[in-house]
Amino acid sequence: MTGPVLTGGGMSDGRLNKLLNRLADVRGPETRVAFYLFILFFLTTFSFYIIKPVKENFLIGVTPAWWPYADLATALLIGFVVALNVRLLNRLPRRAYVTATLLFFISSLFLFWYIFDTSQQLLAYTPLMHASAIVGVIPIKVIINNIWPLPVFVFCFWSDVFIATTITQFWIAVNDALDPYQAKRMVGLFVTGGLLGGIGGALLTSRLVRVIGPENLLLVCPAILLLLLVTVRLVYGQQKKLGEAAGPGPSRAGSRIGYLEGFEVVRGNRYLLFLAGLLASAMVAGSLINFQFKIVVKSAFAYDVARTSFLGSFYFAILLFSAVIHLATTGRMLKNFGIRLALLVAPVFLLLGSVSVFLIPAGLLMVWATMVRGTDKIFDTTISQSVRELLYIPVPADVKYKAKIFIDMFVSKFATGLGAGLFLLLYHVSLFAYKPASAQVREVGVLAVGFIALWIVLIGVVYAEYPSVLKKDLARKWRDADKVVEESVDMDMTRRVFDALQSRERSPTLYVMNIFDLIRKGRLSPELKDLLGFKQDEVRARSMDCLFDVGGEVFFQGFEEAIADKGFESEVRKVFASDDYKSVMGKRLEEIAGSDSEIERMEAAKLVGMMEPTPKALHILGILLQDTSPEVVSYVLGSAAVHRREEHIPLVLRHLNSPLTCQEAQAALVAYGSAVEDILRAALQDDSRPLNLRRAIPEVLAKIGTQKSADILLAELARRREELEPALVDALYRIRSNRPDVRFKEKGVRPEVLFLIKRGCEIFLDDVRGRPDSPGFSPERKALLDLKIKRIFDLLSLIHPAEDIVKAYQNILQGTRRSVDYSLELLDNILDRDLKAVLFPLIEDLPPMDRAQRLKKALRSLAQESARSRLK
Amino acid sequence: MTITTRDTDGVVIFDIAGEIRRSDDMDTTLHHLVKTHLDRGKRRIMLNLERVEFIDSFGVGEILASYISTQNLGGKFKLFNISKKLLLIFQITMLTKVLDIYEDEDCALRSFGQA
Repeated sequence: MTGPVLTGGGMSDGRLNKLLNRLADVRGPETRVAFYLFILFFLTTFSFYIIKPVKENFLIGVTPAWWPYADLATALLIGFVVALNVRLLNRLPRRAYVTATLLFFISSLFLFWYIFDTSQQLLAYTPLMHASAIVGVIPIKVIINNIWPLPVFVFCFWSDVFIATTITQFWIAVNDALDPYQAKRMVGLFVTGGLLGGIGGALLTSRLVRVIGPENLLLVCPAILLLLLVTVRLVYGQQKKLGEAAGPGPSRAGSRIGYLEGFEVVRGNRYLLFLAGLLASAMVAGSLINFQFKIVVKSAFAYDVARTSFLGSFYFAILLFSAVIHLATTGRMLKNFGIRLALLVAPVFLLLGSVSVFLIPAGLLMVWATMVRGTDKIFDTTISQSVRELLYIPVPADVKYKAKIFIDMFVSKFATGLGAGLFLLLYHVSLFAYKPASAQVREVGVLAVGFIALWIVLIGVVYAEYPSVLKKDLARKWRDADKVVEESVDMDMTRRVFDALQSRERSPTLYVMNIFDLIRKGRLSPELKDLLGFKQDEVRARSMDCLFDVGGEVFFQGFEEAIADKGFESEVRKVFASDDYKSVMGKRLEEIAGSDSEIERMEAAKLVGMMEPTPKALHILGILLQDTSPEVVSYVLGSAAVHRREEHIPLVLRHLNSPLTCQEAQAALVAYGSAVEDILRAALQDDSRPLNLRRAIPEVLAKIGTQKSADILLAELARRREELEPALVDALYRIRSNRPDVRFKEKGVRPEVLFLIKRGCEIFLDDVRGRPDSPGFSPERKALLDLKIKRIFDLLSLIHPAEDIVKAYQNILQGTRRSVDYSLELLDNILDRDLKAVLFPLIEDLPPMDRAQRLKKALRSLAQESARSRLK
Repeated sequence: MTITTRDTDGVVIFDIAGEIRRSDDMDTTLHHLVKTHLDRGKRRIMLNLERVEFIDSFGVGEILASYISTQNLGGKFKLFNISKKLLLIFQITMLTKVLDIYEDEDCALRSFGQA
């Protein structure tokens, strides 16, 4: 049912897997790569939370009016770094690229340490080679003092580049190593690693800084970055193994990326454009909230030491809260409520918080600022970060790398710069220097609320686009065969051709009547004439009344000429309508209907459908409908479909029971249309009727295809007669497929979906119970479960977008591992939480015992839902 | 009509002899047989029509029903060794647009590998 299964690792992987499974849903073969990615993010944030306090420390030491310039500088210069970064990505293999950038960061850390350390010393000298070749030394402290605070701004910019680059590299590694569904399952694990790394880094900084001073902390980072380098190589080593097992997928590395190309890709892709807008609005809002926070902190803490101490405690508390909230909510929220709610949590909280600034008294401003800034940071490092990364998942790999780098490294920094620019503008235009902190905060709050509102709107837009982007990578594996047949083959003509061919050998009369039928319906093409051996002389001798041996003249002088005559059909009709013909033929038909000759009865059965519906003709039709010969019945059913008399319906219905006449009986009943729906409903519900007859009814209702037919089928499905289930579900699916105007109510379909899921669970668990020593799936049970799952999807298509459900089903059944995961991701976005919880264990690629455990849980959940439904 | 069934590398092959037509003396129909194998999890079905003398409208219905049932489960349904006359009828009635028809068993089996 599912994609290829990777073999599990050894015992150590098993223990590690158990450990990681406490944090996220990590499957056997993914264990190592998941662990390495966890460590990678841990080390990345560990190093960042050493660098960040050092940066803040130096920045706070600068005049507060300069603060926005740090963000603005980053916004203006980050583009050059992006250009350099993409050039490196283009030219270097992925591992070499990561190695080169990390070595750059390590060496520049030593340089910054040297500058900051020197700035703390009383005097230092540096060698200098003058243009005149005179070698000498000048006091470097003098140089540093002269250019101060430029080194601080350079370091701020460098740290922004560092965090943007390393975080981007981490998520590129995630996208390289995992497919969408894996990433979604494990994103919580990585964020946990990041949070723990942040806490570790912040804790180490707060302890170590008292001993070695802030600038010496920079010497700790190179060691961590070296560990990070080793971990990256391990991740890419595992990626190769996973990639080989997963089979061909979208190209990952090696695509050429240009800086402008990144911009063009985002500009030309509606989804990426909205995604960039979403990120930008969130960043601007965050930047403005940060300035509100700084204003309040500045007014509350007059001294640097107290302020720095407060900031340190604040960040540490934020990371602790983040870790707790993340462990308690991120994974569950994504699993239970999906991406949309997870995306909305942060802006909704921030909107409420930002609006409340207009209501609270000035005395509570510090509490308010801490809460709002804390909320922003906590969500940004937990749910928002996880979900933002997930939004890139459906984007094709070649586009993703170009776009992600541009958005993450340029758009986000530009947005932060925009926030700083807006603050600076407001600062000067609104004369902040002369206003109290509360007034400043509220004025910035108006801007913040505007950007948060924009953020919420863009979430709605991006979420609406997300499934369609996801679906682009999913194609149908096959079309519905009945539709293919319907489009390519004229079934009515085909049957008539084969009937004509058969009749030629058996009865010239039947042959001519069948030819006449083909002519009448305009289907006697030149090719068909040749095939049928249609000769003028032959036909001339075979006029109907001659063959019926009723005497009289041959009224066709030349059949071929006659058929070319437009009046031909009306001439024949006139004959059928004449009283003499009716009188003579009526008597003759009655004789033939009682004849021992099957051929004669077949001729009569065909003729009665061509005649006027006189009482005599209809009476004979009724007699022939009770004939024992399936050949006769097949012809007379065609005639019954022409006259469509109510009194013949029960007789037609009986012929559904025989496979020899079932198709013709179905066609005849379909010809009756909605007039037979109530009769079909009664027959369907009548358990005393033969099973084959009842099994043939759903197809008739599917072809009638009205709302009432659909309701009858669904009502019968709710009676849960397993023997009718395949026909009923198939018929409902065909109505859904062919008649988009027919509506299916979820309250009618959902219980049946859940019932089928329950049966699917039982099929699997029965198999496991029956063969405890061999937990593999027996072929018989697998076939049974496969059919059950097909029906579950057929029913799901009634209440969800049919094309999406069909694509998901077909790709889960026959797709690559990657398309299976895309399908699961699509379903994850379409289906509700309760349905996913019980359906996914059936369709996901799980080890048998793991699947058994999840299915048992699903069964319990289904039993509870069933009990709730009964209570209602 | 007589139908014998064999399995070659997971492909179920029905060797049909006689006429595929509406007849009282049938124990089971072709479509029923195909469905039985589909229910057992088989998804590759082939009909050997080498010894088929005639097909009537019922036979065509059976073949198309078998094709639809197989394809809708993601399977493959193929015909081979079809007579020239029957192929001509299939062409004129456009059945060749729908049905996978191969010259012989080897070609038909190889086509599964290519799919």
